[in-house]
Amino acid sequence: MFSFDPYSPAVDADPFPFYKTLRDEYPCFWSKEAQMWILSRYADIVSAGQDWQTYSSAKGNLMTELPNRAGATLGTTDPPRHDRLRGLIQHAFMKRNLESLTEPIRDIARTTAQALAGEKQFDFISEFSSKFTVRVLFAALGLPMENEQTVRDKAVMMVQSDPHTRAKGPEHIAAYNWMQEYAAGVIAERRARPLNDLISHFSMAEIDGDRLDEREVLLTTTTLIMAGIESLGGFMTMFALNLADHADARRQCVANPVLLVDAVEESLRFNTSAQRFRRCLQKDVTLHGQTMRAGDFVCLAYGSGNRDERQYPNPDVYDITRKPRGHLGFGGGVHACLGTAIARLSVKIAFEEFHKVFPDYHRVQEQLPWMPSSTFRSPLRLEIAIH
Amino acid sequence: MTTITYVEPSGNRVTVDVTEGWSLMQAAIANGVEGITGECGGSCACATCHCYVDEARMADVPAAAEGELGMLAHVAAERRPNSRLACQIKASAAIDGLVVHLPETQE
Repeated sequence: MFSFDPYSPAVDADPFPFYKTLRDEYPCFWSKEAQMWILSRYADIVSAGQDWQTYSSAKGNLMTELPNRAGATLGTTDPPRHDRLRGLIQHAFMKRNLESLTEPIRDIARTTAQALAGEKQFDFISEFSSKFTVRVLFAALGLPMENEQTVRDKAVMMVQSDPHTRAKGPEHIAAYNWMQEYAAGVIAERRARPLNDLISHFSMAEIDGDRLDEREVLLTTTTLIMAGIESLGGFMTMFALNLADHADARRQCVANPVLLVDAVEESLRFNTSAQRFRRCLQKDVTLHGQTMRAGDFVCLAYGSGNRDERQYPNPDVYDITRKPRGHLGFGGGVHACLGTAIARLSVKIAFEEFHKVFPDYHRVQEQLPWMPSSTFRSPLRLEIAIH
Repeated sequence: MTTITYVEPSGNRVTVDVTEGWSLMQAAIANGVEGITGECGGSCACATCHCYVDEARMADVPAAAEGELGMLAHVAAERRPNSRLACQIKASAAIDGLVVHLPETQE
């Protein structure tokens, strides 16, 4: 009897064989373990992502939601409130408004990579991607450069879940609470001494003449920090893993760094860190002979849609010439990732600089220690050896 | 299904049967139509799915909301009265047979 448990370590390690069975045999599957429906085909996920009236985010979008967060963040509200909230923030993340960050990001990448020069083997995550992403996010949000390591550790902890209880554990809730207190401190500081930056503007913004709810300001800021660090770091690590495992692709990118753009898109398709998000049905829906009821939760398995052979030929091949348009690596529809432009820019610059110091490397561990998370997928440690 | 014809910048016409509810951007990129980028993934945040809606059918297409109007100010090609963002137009019976022209550039 087939089962799909997004909390199981086997799914953390390699969800793709499960996804294939889901797509081919159970395209609308009730997971007893997760207590939700799983949609795994590209077309079904796109349809659901476009239809926010039916597939609502207002009850949370993380597979294992954090307490009291739903309804107060971009990812956990529906239009029209969502659109207004997003309107206050998104200009800061638009591609054309990121130009001023290009050089600071390059400096961060160069400094972080050069500090490792001469090393023969190291953990890419602790030595490069964590340091880089925290510094980039701090620069983007104008956060003070202190507590960097703690902020990063808490961001990574709060997205995890307990594989045994299939819920958030006390350590995950504690990290989430820590992050809220950290965000509250930043907000208070900006209100006392406003700067011309995102958090200053956002913390004092109004929608239709009403100040934003305190919970919205706090949890949206908390989520921006979490997503900025964990999602960007997780994706960068998956990208490094792909380049470490696919020597030809890496050599091509080193010889011609313009190809990093295509390699990033293919990585977003091939094994994006944002594997699964959830929605809540607002009405009964019948799909592939199954009737899902209003109030049921539904998982949109982006990582499976990206491997759907109905959309992408030879989906299990990592091919940087593929140019996989329409991939679900950033989700899709009104809730598509806010940080697409800064993520693409940051990862490209990071690897341009990293490859100047380390053009040739491979993975050391045969088995990777995967993060326990029902939503995201990336290793906790990625040892690479320099040639 | 809603039939939509995209006219690529080269003049090439591509007709796609679009699933009801899909945006014209999503359908275009999922079907390999040239001349549309959709960089932000459909959240009305990048202005790279700019299209020109057939003028004769403008009344059939629901009007642009505030967010789209704001983002249309950032399109790379000439903005015209029939400029729209394809991510904000959803396939429905009302727009069956619609022709949209894609601009020379999106960035």
